[in-house]
Amino acid sequence: MDFAQFQQAPVSVPTEHHSHGNRWDPYVDNGGTSLAIAGEDFVVVASDTRQSNGYSINSRYSPKAFELSNGSVLATTGYHADALKLVEHIEQRAQLYFHKHDRAMNVSAMAQMLSGILYSKRFFPYYVFPILSGLDAKGKGAVYTYDPVGNMERVNYQAYGSASALVQPFLDSQVGFKNQRNADPSRLLERPQAVKLAIDAFTGATERDIHTGDWLDLFIIDQDGIHQTKRELKHD
Amino acid sequence: MDAIKIQLPHTVQPRAENANDGAVSRTMQPIVTGTSVVAFKYKDGIMMAADTLASYGSLARFRSEKRLMAVGDNTLVGVSGDLSDFQYMQHVLEDLETRELCMDDDQTLGTKSVYKYISNIMYNRRTKVDPLWNSYVVAGLDHDEKFLGFVDLYGTRYQSPTIATGFGAHLAQPILRKRVEGREDEIEEEEALAILDDCMRVLFYRDARSFNKLRRAKVTAQGVEISEPYSLETNWDFAESIVGYGG
Amino acid sequence: MFLTRSEYDRGVNTFSPEGRLFQVEYAIEAIKLGSTAIGIRTSEGVVLAVEKRVTSPLLVADSIEKILEIDTHVACAMSGLTADSRTMIEHARIEAQNHTFNYDEPVPVESVTQSVCDLALRFGESTDGQQSTMSRPFGVALLIAGVDDRGPQLFHTDPSGTFWRYEAKAIGAGSEGAQTELQEQYHRGMSLEEAETLALKVLKQVMEEKLSSTNVQLAKVTEQTGFQIYTKDELEAVIGRL
Repeated sequence: MDFAQFQQAPVSVPTEHHSHGNRWDPYVDNGGTSLAIAGEDFVVVASDTRQSNGYSINSRYSPKAFELSNGSVLATTGYHADALKLVEHIEQRAQLYFHKHDRAMNVSAMAQMLSGILYSKRFFPYYVFPILSGLDAKGKGAVYTYDPVGNMERVNYQAYGSASALVQPFLDSQVGFKNQRNADPSRLLERPQAVKLAIDAFTGATERDIHTGDWLDLFIIDQDGIHQTKRELKHD
Repeated sequence: MDAIKIQLPHTVQPRAENANDGAVSRTMQPIVTGTSVVAFKYKDGIMMAADTLASYGSLARFRSEKRLMAVGDNTLVGVSGDLSDFQYMQHVLEDLETRELCMDDDQTLGTKSVYKYISNIMYNRRTKVDPLWNSYVVAGLDHDEKFLGFVDLYGTRYQSPTIATGFGAHLAQPILRKRVEGREDEIEEEEALAILDDCMRVLFYRDARSFNKLRRAKVTAQGVEISEPYSLETNWDFAESIVGYGG
Repeated sequence: MFLTRSEYDRGVNTFSPEGRLFQVEYAIEAIKLGSTAIGIRTSEGVVLAVEKRVTSPLLVADSIEKILEIDTHVACAMSGLTADSRTMIEHARIEAQNHTFNYDEPVPVESVTQSVCDLALRFGESTDGQQSTMSRPFGVALLIAGVDDRGPQLFHTDPSGTFWRYEAKAIGAGSEGAQTELQEQYHRGMSLEEAETLALKVLKQVMEEKLSSTNVQLAKVTEQTGFQIYTKDELEAVIGRL
């Protein structure tokens, strides 16, 4: 081993290398925004349905939030092809679990599993930012958020995607009450307010973010199941 | 003595830097290419068009290539991008058809199945970082339901009432969005043909890799119909007024 | 039955013309040589009791372990060739830990039981003509007790890889007598305390030696405390109630 090269190396801040030579980049960002807001006994999940590639709109209706077999909803953003594959992957595992243990997965079990699935591709990640929502074992609204390599956190609300920089601060203020003194930041919203905020967030995001718009898929998860509605956003 | 030089096929090339590090790179760029495919839904089904040119860079190399194909009885596939990759895909799809036929079970290949099959191949190849350098437009009619889908070398897929690949995404798609979107179930064949020709004419005027010899195709309840090559009426009168380079 | 030995005695993968796998049946027989183990399920939890054969006064009784923990909410009592159980319990523990790692929840009791049974059936298996890793069936039966979201459960597994769910079950040398006794004494409304006494009472009846706190082991699995082995004091308190 030649240690000389290390001794000669200049002392500098280590930097990450992102260069892959001339390699073709196997990822694309298909834009779009997803959010989820947890309530005491419900969760509101919303995703716009525009799929884009650069300045081009591929499709006005290409859903990126998916109802799963165990009654939860997975909202995604990022690279759409990976998102679709990820959903297939999760569903396959959920079915295996169902047959092996003779019961549907809890959201918490699926949350942990999803973290594992993402991390198992740590060195060739699914370029997806997933938000998993459902009701926990006690019937409380549960929202789990991830980064593409599986770092997981349970939160009360989250916005991901091309307009996350616009929507997250809005939620921080209106859902998390982070801008209000003496307000209880863990206070949860009532259902009509949560739905209203989700819609407002997207109307605003559609105005300012070119990758967000067209239609809004809205899911409300409660004890009775998943109620899905589709609303119009601006098509420009 | 000089080292023996091995001439690799031009699609398999050693990487430019560190040429002798033993690594080979797969298709890093398309070679012989087809340009836009334009497709949209109309009253009776789906219309699609593509020209017959296969370019080698800027050279108009082959002038009667077929970029529209039927798969099964009611599925139409259009392609743009690398044509050797497309020919590979053609073989794969023909194999699929043969296997389906040999089943002899009175089942036929549905459009959605063909679409998912192509999508899986495209996504799997991108995952190997060895993509098939194409965009595919898959159209069909399954039990009165119109289907129009897209998948590219990234495995990105979407469905839409109007689809245009390549330059078409910039030049034809805006026309289609204006004239087709929201009217997919109203447009009669006659109007559909006019829209299609208008799109292809704009593409011929503006896309330097296009060609005025094209085919159109439709999928309807009667099945797939791919036309013989035809040409569009063009008008180059405006060219007289163009003098110099933008002067 | 066993006097008429035949060529079908030997192969673990060969059915006899009557459709039997003798080696598996012999393995089940081997359990009847083992010390008695009893499990009783109640709505409050499951009780496991085993007899320890202290064959010599010089033998350290504490070194005989026949009730083991699989996970905090699952335990297991055994009878038969107890050495074989090490492989099975190791497998069950890994299955339980993997489940928690993958799904952030305790493994269902029936699922560990099933996975142990899957293992039990892998005798005589080999891949591509290689020497098989398990040449014979396990000679041990297990009573798997646990609590999960379906409540307290008791399972019995045998060398054939089959498992059954029981309210109360006895295995080992004294199992026939003990099972009859359990059948008569068990009732669904039984409390955990009643189950403790019943388990030791039945064990006492079928044991050759006099039951004491050194030659039996008692354990429970409950929703509140999970798996617990009774201390000498706790055990003596139960014996005192007999």
